[in-house]
Amino acid sequence: MKVGIPRERFPGERRVAATPDTVTRLQKMGFTVLVEAGAGAEANFPDAAYAAAGATLVDEAWALWSQADLITKIRPPLPEEVQHLSAGKVLVSLIMPAQNQELVQQIAARGATVIALDQIPRISRAQKMDVLSSMANIAGYRAVIEAANSFGSFFGGLITAAGKTRPARVLVIGAGVAGLAAIAAAKGLGAEVRAFDVRPACKEQCESLGASFLLLDFPMAEGAETKGGYASTMSDAFIAAEMKLFAEQAKEVDIIITTALIPGKRAPILITAEMVDSMRPGSVVVDLAAEQGGNCDYTVPGEAVVKSGVTILGFTDLTSRLATTASQLFGTNISHLLSDMGGATNFRVDHEDEAVRGALVLEKGALMWPAPEPVRPVAPAAAKVEAPKAALVEAPKAAPAKSAGKAGHGGHGGGQEMGATARNVATLIAAALLAAIGLNAPTDFIQHLTVFLLACFVGWQVVWSVTPALHTPLMSVTNAISGIIIVGGMIQSGTEKVNVAAILGAIAILVASINIAGGFLVTHRMLQMFRKEGE
Amino acid sequence: MGTNLLTTAYLGAAILFIQSLGGLSSQTSARRGNLYGLAGMVLAIGATALNPSVESFTLMLASVLVGSGIGAVLASRVAMTAMPELVAVLHSFVGLAAVLVGISSALAPHEALTGGAQVVHLVEIWLGVAIGAITFTGSIIAWAKLKGSLSGRPLLLPGRHALNAVVALSILGMAVPFIVATQGGDLATANGLLVGMTVLACILGVHLVMAIGGADMPVVVSLLNSYSGWAAAAAGFMLANDLLIVTGALVGSSGAILSIIMCRAMNRSILSVVFGGFGADSGAAPAQAAVITGEQKEWNIDDVAQAAAKAREIIIVPGYGMAVGRAQHLVHDFSKILRGKGVNVRYAIHPVAGRLPGHMNVLLAEASVPYDIVLEMDEINSDCPRTDLVLVIGANDIVNPGAETDAASPIYGMPVIQVWKATHTVVLKRGRGAGYAGIDNPLFYLDNTRMLFGDAKDSMQKLVSALKG
Repeated sequence: MKVGIPRERFPGERRVAATPDTVTRLQKMGFTVLVEAGAGAEANFPDAAYAAAGATLVDEAWALWSQADLITKIRPPLPEEVQHLSAGKVLVSLIMPAQNQELVQQIAARGATVIALDQIPRISRAQKMDVLSSMANIAGYRAVIEAANSFGSFFGGLITAAGKTRPARVLVIGAGVAGLAAIAAAKGLGAEVRAFDVRPACKEQCESLGASFLLLDFPMAEGAETKGGYASTMSDAFIAAEMKLFAEQAKEVDIIITTALIPGKRAPILITAEMVDSMRPGSVVVDLAAEQGGNCDYTVPGEAVVKSGVTILGFTDLTSRLATTASQLFGTNISHLLSDMGGATNFRVDHEDEAVRGALVLEKGALMWPAPEPVRPVAPAAAKVEAPKAALVEAPKAAPAKSAGKAGHGGHGGGQEMGATARNVATLIAAALLAAIGLNAPTDFIQHLTVFLLACFVGWQVVWSVTPALHTPLMSVTNAISGIIIVGGMIQSGTEKVNVAAILGAIAILVASINIAGGFLVTHRMLQMFRKEGE
Repeated sequence: MGTNLLTTAYLGAAILFIQSLGGLSSQTSARRGNLYGLAGMVLAIGATALNPSVESFTLMLASVLVGSGIGAVLASRVAMTAMPELVAVLHSFVGLAAVLVGISSALAPHEALTGGAQVVHLVEIWLGVAIGAITFTGSIIAWAKLKGSLSGRPLLLPGRHALNAVVALSILGMAVPFIVATQGGDLATANGLLVGMTVLACILGVHLVMAIGGADMPVVVSLLNSYSGWAAAAAGFMLANDLLIVTGALVGSSGAILSIIMCRAMNRSILSVVFGGFGADSGAAPAQAAVITGEQKEWNIDDVAQAAAKAREIIIVPGYGMAVGRAQHLVHDFSKILRGKGVNVRYAIHPVAGRLPGHMNVLLAEASVPYDIVLEMDEINSDCPRTDLVLVIGANDIVNPGAETDAASPIYGMPVIQVWKATHTVVLKRGRGAGYAGIDNPLFYLDNTRMLFGDAKDSMQKLVSALKG
């Protein structure tokens, strides 16, 4: 199977969908790789490097489009590129089907299969192929570098013989991948960083990177719990509080980096003209949402403009400005995707694979997008976090599906694996057994059985909550507690007359007391040793 | 003391025992949990002593004093590395006590029972003694295996499953003549049968544990923990004592849960552990495991010390080798020096590292490693790829990548710590041999793995000196 890597024709695009390194990976999966001559030149990957990695260079662009079975590129295809997509070919690239419906129709008419990298669902398993995260990470970093470039001062504070400079104050709005990357980069340069996001859950992530998290003078929970679209989700009162916060911050900070996107819609205006006018001259606003219309009134997509002495950067090619690394990450994401799709030998579009199904826009010309919601139990708590996501945030990071992982783990050999039939049979047998006991056994026995079974359930519940680190103390303390059999020994040996039964009872007491004394003491010794740092 | 008061005292003791286990849910409440357990025990013993059916204290007191003395000495002398042996031997005492109480109860029943009630009582005695005897000898064998007095290799007699079945069935079958003889007043025959059955059950216990391989020891110890609980519960049934029943049930469930956890961690079913012989079930299977090619690359002490000093993220994976070498204090010194230099050193514990559930945690705690930098496998695996250096100290199977990739490997499917994803992995190992499960480890041949051969304690000593110097 041949994978084709064309040169990106979109003006200003410097990235390429594969690097010599990822070409090697693709070949290991059995793909033959065709690379258009000059494809990697702007990302500093010369043709010779691709050839050395084993790729076949194709001089004529359209020859590559006709020879390759699978084309992988970065930007959505241009009209002339669509003309060269023939039936049965597979295109893997960013598509943004919601915004580019006309493009999708054109490709559908050609009968090709399209995998939209931007539609890969944000699940843990698919993180390795999530190009949006890779690119957002780069954009966030580069936004800070661009801001520093336009800013007339240090980011970090300095005390020198020539006087003191205060650290730059940076406000990052939206704590998705790009926002977090911007926080980390700005912090790394020494700036004082503040962050804001409508999702209170982001507070911890921002603080972990050293930013202080701004809180609205508004009950966050209320804002998060209303449902519906953006306008109704964020009540007017909420938006007013948000804007008031930004207006106050604008007067204080030197750099504002905005990353607020609404999937499939124009980006919300968060930084108004008045706010920019109130900023100190020399300040910088970097608008990462410029391509979707921008978060700032003054933003001109693709350009740097100066208003009231404030520079507003609306660059839409931030990732292209880091073309080498961007290409490498993009190419690696692609190789993970193709590996999950079966490599060259077993390549197939698997509808059962949630990641592939989510990204599938066209299959042999038939519209497959949007994918049906995967059937998956969603905890009510998770739904609450989802709600505000649509409001003001660039694509959030895939939530680590820890609980799901645990549940899966729990399935190994525990009771969960028992089939439904087996479970029914077991229930029937248990019921029959209980009935038989109820009909035949003496009352005393039934009372004891009740106590016994209830205690089993209590023990089962209590012991599962024991932390694994304390499993050894658990064993030694249960050793001590099972020394309770001493009671049996006492009852047997407490008779006036010393007979064989009493002596046996006394020996039982002896060994049981070894357990009691030994068990509790050794547990105590062990637990004394468990200390927290500094305790 | 009236019967009702005795019952409520027992109820109080039972609640205290539940609280005691509940306290172990976190390190902060664990010490309180142990005190609850002790209080429950004192309450139960005190209430029993004041019970009118107890008429004489002489024998009792002497036994308690001697027993507690022995227990205290054992507990205060035991080295933390020898904890598995202590736990195993304590299980055997519970089993022995259950046997003794059972036989004693058969010799001198407290109430004269007749008809159905008597049959139930006799069955309870029979089962209690049987479970107790299996626990008793099984634990002794486990103790000897852990101590090294017996080889860890499974003893696989031909037709051992049939043998076990025959013995188990005869134990059950002998209950019928026992009941008939007791009801017919033929006490000599009845007692003879009881003692005979006890011997059989003892043999069954020996044989069951002899057939289990050394690598499965954590499961065996937990299983015996469970058995000792069931033995106590059975004793409770025969003495009509609810406190014994409750406590036995608590301990029994606890052991059962631990066994399940351990089995999951090794991707083995409980049945395959109980009926024995790791790898031996399938005869020739291990031979088909992928043949490993390549060579092991070595580092010396200075190489490792340099790599550690340069790293920002280090994970230490301790295994049984650290316990055997008693190197935990030096490992702690090593991590303390590095943490002092700002390196983020953390510990990763596999659920079956060592020979006892939680064994590594106890050893690290003994060496004063703070428990908040000791993480479970599931917590730390995702961090492996961004770790600069992993130090595997005397562990083998729990870091074997073959468990994930090689379907022919006997441990295929067992969750492992993914140390190979780190930039470099250094394996401290005594020599070039295979792990406890007898499986070669492809980890040792990977490009980013380096071997540091030698005794764990000795190597750590040198590493600490190199870091200081």
